[in-house]
Amino acid sequence: MKTVGARQVWAIEEVTAALGRRLAGIPSVWVEAEVQNLRHRAGQVYFTLRDTHQIDASMRSVLFERLAVRPEDGSLVQAYGRVEFWADRAQISMRIERMELAGEGLLLAQIEATKARLARDGLLADARKRPLPVLPRRIGLVTSAVGAARNDVLNNLWARFPADVVLVDVPVQGEGAPRAIVRALEVLNAIPEVDVIIVARGGGALEDLMAFNDEQVCRAVAASGVPVVSAVGHEKDVTVCDLVADRRVSTPTAAAEVVVADKVSLDAQLAAAERGLVRGLARVRESSATRVDQRTHALIAALRAVGARSDSRVAAAQSRLAPALRRVADASALRLPLAGDRLERAARARSATAERHLAASAALLAVLSPSRTVARGYVIVRDPADARPLVSAADLRPGDMVELEMRDGRVDATVKGARG
Amino acid sequence: MTEDTAPLSFEQALARLDEVVTRLEGGEVGLEEAVGLFEQGQAYLATCRERLARAQQRIEELTSASNAISGGEQDEPF
Repeated sequence: MKTVGARQVWAIEEVTAALGRRLAGIPSVWVEAEVQNLRHRAGQVYFTLRDTHQIDASMRSVLFERLAVRPEDGSLVQAYGRVEFWADRAQISMRIERMELAGEGLLLAQIEATKARLARDGLLADARKRPLPVLPRRIGLVTSAVGAARNDVLNNLWARFPADVVLVDVPVQGEGAPRAIVRALEVLNAIPEVDVIIVARGGGALEDLMAFNDEQVCRAVAASGVPVVSAVGHEKDVTVCDLVADRRVSTPTAAAEVVVADKVSLDAQLAAAERGLVRGLARVRESSATRVDQRTHALIAALRAVGARSDSRVAAAQSRLAPALRRVADASALRLPLAGDRLERAARARSATAERHLAASAALLAVLSPSRTVARGYVIVRDPADARPLVSAADLRPGDMVELEMRDGRVDATVKGARG
Repeated sequence: MTEDTAPLSFEQALARLDEVVTRLEGGEVGLEEAVGLFEQGQAYLATCRERLARAQQRIEELTSASNAISGGEQDEPF
């Protein structure tokens, strides 16, 4: 410093030294800012840290390379360092010693790490995914009792099917959420008849969805004894829970469709099966009758061919053979009225369509009825205990009680002897 | 006709019903067997309908802290 006339004149070095003394009092601090203009040069990494203001920063390459996740341009970071003053150029920068991703970048890095660990344990494999039941006895629902997702799931579920639901109310975001969700999955797994579990939450910011990226939550989903449907977020949000669940749906609203079949189509499917049963039985009955008739004719023809002496003997043989063969068929048909009763009971409770169908079935059953055979003079031998028709001599022992069904009534009889 | 005594799930009953219908409609079975299949089919049908009728649109709401059903761990804080 020198004095020129009335004026004190400083050397630059004196100015920078004074600045340096002042800045020396600033301690090392954590800052949160965005990394920009990142470049490597001569063993150092240089970048700008910026929020509404900005400051140049540097970090030794060996430290930077060792970071768990290396920031890139645009990464939000928290960095720790001290203010450095370059006196010869009067420049200020920050010397960074530690740096971590912050905000969304941090969350994304955590998600990637969780995914990697789960993948290493094979928990993301497609082969682990279980099919969902067609008709769960009860549906477990893990969601917030006050969230919109609750109603989205329930309304759509019940529009399709009057399913029974066990809801476990959990916080779906915040610190306690992962633990509560894990617990809810355990609780539901212990409740009988819960055949499928829906984990639901509406859309939100990445931070709000983090409970569904939590490793413990994902492991609990994987460990569930019953299939889990992940219905978290909106279309674009994919959580780790989605990846580990047996089924992912893009929104809570869509959960209903994969969890329950539509009641109307189930009813239609059962009605079609019922028609198939009756149709099938009718077809078998018809073809049996046809086969019996064909054989009768064939036998008679054979008898004629071997030279049976008189038509009357052929006629006598016919009169014995035809009923004998028919008896086999009719004995089977005896059980039809019982089945018919059940058919009627089931159908009575149902729709008009089913009732029209029942009328057709009843008509069919009447055609198949054994009462016609009895009317022709044949006798049906039944077990008096359960009215089961007895068709084989081998089933009877001397002294067995039997019931004879005749054209005009029933007779109790005792077996004297049986020749099988 | 002997049947499994374990209660069938809806899926199982539906699958067996379809199987029975397919066999019966195929027409390759004897009459005696056909009657048996018809009866089995009716039983599966009844199982399916009973299961459908059981759903009553009930909802039970538990809190995640609920210990009533999880059996123990009463002291676990939430």
